[in-house]
Amino acid sequence: MSTVDALLAQFRYRPDEECAGLAEFPTSSVEADRPPGMEEQQLLTFGLGGSEYAVALGTVTEILRARALTEIPRARPPLLGVLNLRGTITPVYDPSLRLQLASTAPPCAGPDCERPPRPARILVVRTALGPAGLWVDRVRGVQRVRPAALERPHSGPTGGVVGVLQTAEGTCTVVDPEWLLR
Amino acid sequence: MSSDPEGVDVCAFWVGEAVYGIDVARVDEILPRVVPLPVSDAPAHVEGVVHVHGTAVPIVDLRRLLPAGNPPRTAKPKVILARIGRRRVGLRVDGMAGVRRYTAAEIRPGATVPGVLGETGDECRLLDLQGLLANRSAGPRAGL
Repeated sequence: MSTVDALLAQFRYRPDEECAGLAEFPTSSVEADRPPGMEEQQLLTFGLGGSEYAVALGTVTEILRARALTEIPRARPPLLGVLNLRGTITPVYDPSLRLQLASTAPPCAGPDCERPPRPARILVVRTALGPAGLWVDRVRGVQRVRPAALERPHSGPTGGVVGVLQTAEGTCTVVDPEWLLR
Repeated sequence: MSSDPEGVDVCAFWVGEAVYGIDVARVDEILPRVVPLPVSDAPAHVEGVVHVHGTAVPIVDLRRLLPAGNPPRTAKPKVILARIGRRRVGLRVDGMAGVRRYTAAEIRPGATVPGVLGETGDECRLLDLQGLLANRSAGPRAGL
């Protein structure tokens, strides 16, 4: 029976096992091999007005084509309306009000709202209170950045800005999605 | 993981005419279609590397390391993304044969084929993955 035990000991996966044949391969390093603080971060970049913004990709669960919302009577900005997302009532907010890019929200809900422009999207983000939507003018794509490439704000009130990223197209402000909803 | 300390859960797959198995705890993912990027100076059994969620993973063709033969016609080729220690490797196989549980009594030690630790009652060959890959490192290039 001891031979079976020895067989099983060799057969079973152990995180600390070594394989001499694999050790030499230069690019087979898994994420854990990278030095700490060098992990790439993935950001979802989107446009609001003429400027570019980004949120951490991990917070975004879904990107929807913008559609007419259900209005909430006497809803206060930045709440635009609600969306029935496969049975879950999801509030949709306008981040441009929070970022002071606009003073009034566009009419996105109710019977007399216009058709949303074609590139407009709703980012569904995960929050402590459940899913919430962010109405953005366009979605650019996913960008992988090293933490060193992200310029962090100096001390003092940062106003939800996590950092600023220099890209080939210009600068992109990385914001905290939870702050946009507050 | 197996609740029975004497038994083992095995991810079984076809290579040639035989069924082989590795510990299910090794298996991260099973990829249906993989087109590896060739690597220069790689041993013959290494097809190349693929990027899986940002990590480069070497793809090893087990069909070149284990006895040849015709798999059942229903088998669909797959790549098993497996862990060896902290490293990962993709294993090209002829088809999947499910997850099976064996008790220690069902396992017969003894290598019939190089790289195999033992067989089970229903002729699933338990693979010695480290042994199989480490022994081949003396190729044109040291290492995979």
